[in-house]
Amino acid sequence: MSEEMKADLELDLKGLLCPMPMVKVSQNIASVAVGGTIRAVATDPGSMADIPAWAKSTGNELISAEKIDGEFVFMVKRLK
Amino acid sequence: METFLNISAVYGVYLSISVFVIGMSWRTYQWATTPKSPVRLGMFPKPKTGAGRVLKMLKDTLIAPQSARIEPLMWAFAFAIHVAALGAFIGHGRLLHEFTPLVTWLGEDGMNTFAAWSGGTAGIVMLAAVVFWIARRTFGPFKQLSVPEDYLLLALLFGVIIMGDHMRFVGTIHAATYREWFQSLLVFKPEIPAEILGSSTGWSLGAHMLFTDLFLIYFPFSKLVHAVGAFSANLVRSE
Amino acid sequence: METQQMTTLVGVLDQKMNRQLKQYLDICARCAICKDACHQYVATQDFKYLPARRAELIRQIYKKYFTKTGEFVPALYEARDPDENLLDELYESTYACTGCRRCMYYCPFSIDTAWILSVAKAILIAAGKGNEMLGQLADAALFKSDNFEMFKDIIVDGFKDIEQQVKGLTGDPDAEIPVDKQGADILYVALAGAHSILPAAVIFHEAKVSWTLSYFEAANYGYFFGDAVKARKIADRFMDEAKRLGVKEVVITECGHAYRVAEIFHEAWSGEKHPFKVRHILEVIDEYITDGRIKVRPDAIKEPVTYHDPCQIGRNGGIFEQPRNIVRALASDFRDMTPNREQQWCCGGGGGLVAISEMDEFRIKSGTIKAEQIKATGARIIASPCENCRLQMEGLNDSMELGIEVKAIMDLVLEAMPLPGSFAKDASTD
Ligand code: HEM
Ligand code: SF4
Ligand code: SF4
Repeated sequence: MSEEMKADLELDLKGLLCPMPMVKVSQNIASVAVGGTIRAVATDPGSMADIPAWAKSTGNELISAEKIDGEFVFMVKRLK
Repeated sequence: METFLNISAVYGVYLSISVFVIGMSWRTYQWATTPKSPVRLGMFPKPKTGAGRVLKMLKDTLIAPQSARIEPLMWAFAFAIHVAALGAFIGHGRLLHEFTPLVTWLGEDGMNTFAAWSGGTAGIVMLAAVVFWIARRTFGPFKQLSVPEDYLLLALLFGVIIMGDHMRFVGTIHAATYREWFQSLLVFKPEIPAEILGSSTGWSLGAHMLFTDLFLIYFPFSKLVHAVGAFSANLVRSE
Repeated sequence: METQQMTTLVGVLDQKMNRQLKQYLDICARCAICKDACHQYVATQDFKYLPARRAELIRQIYKKYFTKTGEFVPALYEARDPDENLLDELYESTYACTGCRRCMYYCPFSIDTAWILSVAKAILIAAGKGNEMLGQLADAALFKSDNFEMFKDIIVDGFKDIEQQVKGLTGDPDAEIPVDKQGADILYVALAGAHSILPAAVIFHEAKVSWTLSYFEAANYGYFFGDAVKARKIADRFMDEAKRLGVKEVVITECGHAYRVAEIFHEAWSGEKHPFKVRHILEVIDEYITDGRIKVRPDAIKEPVTYHDPCQIGRNGGIFEQPRNIVRALASDFRDMTPNREQQWCCGGGGGLVAISEMDEFRIKSGTIKAEQIKATGARIIASPCENCRLQMEGLNDSMELGIEVKAIMDLVLEAMPLPGSFAKDASTD
């Protein structure tokens, strides 16, 4: 489903080691408007727990977190 | 001059020594009764035994080899002034009691020459170091770090040293006369010898003592409490 | 600012007061000997990064509220209130500090500026001015443990992926990444990333030790953020796990601050002694190599290699020789940097700085000295255990074109181990 949604910002986090994928999403959330979305692609499996935990604890919305062809794809929506 | 000397070289001495002793004890008591940080703040490598820690602490405090490595010039002046000050302090011991064994060994004249040389050297070294410090503080790239306290202390120190040097290099009064005055303080029957009152050097003594009094009174409330704190803080380094 | 808030902030200082802090605040001679110790001051010559200046901001509050002379003659000490101006200055000076404690090494009184700044962070947090990014990362870590059921399967799935690679490398179809194993000897605490799990898993497998992997990562953004309660809770996650599993020792991954938190801070924070040892993975690997429990090819790496002592592992953690032993065991040309060990220059990447994007430019600039040091060795590979150091040195490598390869020690070990799964690779490259 995340394939169909057009994100406001695409982040390529491939090759980054944890916790850097979470750090990058966090650093970039301010650059989309409230209600906007970020689509991030990471390769480190640790991000599957880190990014959702970050989204929930900061009060943003995790629309999806999926493993697609060995990559981890996230859709995050800025809520505040 | 008599009133001035009474203030600075009699009552001032009693007052400043009391404030200094009580103040420093209070400071030390405050430190000792504040609970220690539960976190160990030591750094590595550290000595394994208690004796090793104490030795390292003494080395770090008395020689500060690390500081010597990073800023040799500053270290040299700091080391010089502290050693010269210690030397001068010991030299002032002559006011308490003549160093009899030295006199027997060197003879009366020999002793006076030795005192003139050692005291003179200490006086000049201290003066040079204080001037260096004032300059480094005032013109160094980090001058914004200095606060009025730093200049106040250096000014007082400068006063103590310059007047002390004046007494030594310009004044004509010898240690025996000063000893008379100092001894009278010790037995709480203060009296200023006529030779001092009758000489213009009396003013130098008055000023030397005034600066010294103020320096000692301010000491416990200033950063100079490092004289005690340096030892315990350096001990924490290998905790 | 309201007096109410200032009273609160002074209260924080009071609450954090202890003997060492009080002495540090009382005795600093403002001699500025520490200035040339700090890589940030040396690289920028900016007053706000002079170590004694950073501490001076706390001293100004201390003088005004905790000493009579400062209360009555504030001008003498430039004593002042913790108002907005002071807090803004404090923020810049405090969150920039990497906590390397090189200034403490050179100070004639061994004043621990980083310790004074840990109190500064508590004051900033109480004023609502803690660094937002570091705070978020700390909260995310706690969210994971507070809602553990939500994450458990995801975490374990991640481990299973890595387990496949372990099987491949070791050539052992039964190789595993044990999790939650009661009575294991070792609880290994890694980072969330696979890179810190895979090599250790292979090494433990080859050394045939009884181990288990923690669910949680060792990284501790609560510590960088400066909230001792959160930092303790983040470390509690695996410390409690270790107690529950009854392990003999907790082994922390290469990461620098995580080791110091586990080995030095946690017992003080929790007020109880650990019923197990805490060791760094490189201590363990060095022991395995010395005892012959794992083999490394002695000249696996022929290019010149140098080693960077991470501050939290070297000067502040006491591990100097083990990593060098390991590198020497597998590389034929090892070159130390000058200065090294306890005098080593901070690379500039500590203190959580790599997570703060506003500081990127400053952080790279502050690594100038490190870059020069690396260049001077002529090494092609720089080995360093700490994740933050490696990120920083990769940054330096890119921006200053050092042409080096930045490597974790565990990765070098993995490359140098004669593993069935890596034979094919060796054969093709030799
Ligand atoms: C034993 C260990 C000590 C060490 C490592 C030490 C170190 C230092 C240092 C580094 C300074 C530099 C200040 C500057 O740049 O202005 C200094 C200043 C000074 N110290 Fe010490 N000190 C020690 C003990 C003492 C003692 C025992 C005394 C006196 C009783 C003393 C008196 C002074 C004075 C008068 C200054 C100059 C004050 C000023 O700069 O404003 N120190 N000391
Ligand atoms: S070296 Fe130590 S005493 Fe000197 S200014 Fe720095 S912190 Fe203060
Ligand atoms: S701990 Fe390191 S970064 Fe912080 S002030 Fe001291 S030398 Fe500078």
